[in-house]
Amino acid sequence: MARERKSYSTGSDLNMTPMIDVVFQLIIFFVVTLKMTKDENTDIELEDGKHGPIVKEMPPQTLIIEVARNGRISIHNAAMNERMLQEILIGRVNRFRNTSFPVLIRADYRTKHRDVKRVMDVCTSAGIWKLSFVAIQEHKAGGKK
Amino acid sequence: MKKSRKRRITDDQPELEMTPMIDVVFQLLIFFIVTLKKEDILSMLSAARPAADSAADPRNQPNVINIEINNMGFVYRGTPVSKNLLERRLASMAVYDKKVSVVIRCTADSPHKFLVQTLDICYKLQLQNLAIFSM
Repeated sequence: MARERKSYSTGSDLNMTPMIDVVFQLIIFFVVTLKMTKDENTDIELEDGKHGPIVKEMPPQTLIIEVARNGRISIHNAAMNERMLQEILIGRVNRFRNTSFPVLIRADYRTKHRDVKRVMDVCTSAGIWKLSFVAIQEHKAGGKK
Repeated sequence: MKKSRKRRITDDQPELEMTPMIDVVFQLLIFFIVTLKKEDILSMLSAARPAADSAADPRNQPNVINIEINNMGFVYRGTPVSKNLLERRLASMAVYDKKVSVVIRCTADSPHKFLVQTLDICYKLQLQNLAIFSM
């Protein structure tokens, strides 16, 4: 009996501390990197554009305008009309005192050009002539087609 | 008696139940691994958008490549072309001059993907002067 108890107690003496350390490190990593709420319209499916420069870390003044398949215009998934978009753009132009801040248009591949044109017209009316369209350089999350 | 009691307390401490804790931690790990989504690598295709009234009609300007985009696809020099054919045509032009102006004119009902495809071809061929007009 005494022997059995001894062998059982030595089995539970396995050092758990490093294992728990590693597991907690992993958990902290996932908690930090996880984005629970996406601040973009996830319904938008982009067209492939393998030859454009990769969108890396964008400057903080970058403005991403989303145009959904049905023509819904939004910024950070907050819907707006052309007048509101124009006010935002003019406000930014006045704040940064120039029109060179990057404006990206994130339009669905099925969006009609008339809806993209509405956004482009607002941009040009605010004095922004250079526009960029977001495309997919490389699929990682699963393809659209 | 006092001594033996103390010893029992110290003996109990390392026998803390680790199993539920590890269970919870693994549950959390699995949750985070499952909810983790890989994100696509995005690219950026830039073009100028001249105001309609500020520029002269691009069709009448020399040394300009005109591409029309409608709801069916691409039109190059008045002829509907496939994406591959458009690329070949543009490649033959890009050989002589990379700084040639490319004017992309889109009809209102054309899908956005054709515009992106055209810009992508231009980027592939390193054509830099790109302008978008809407019809």
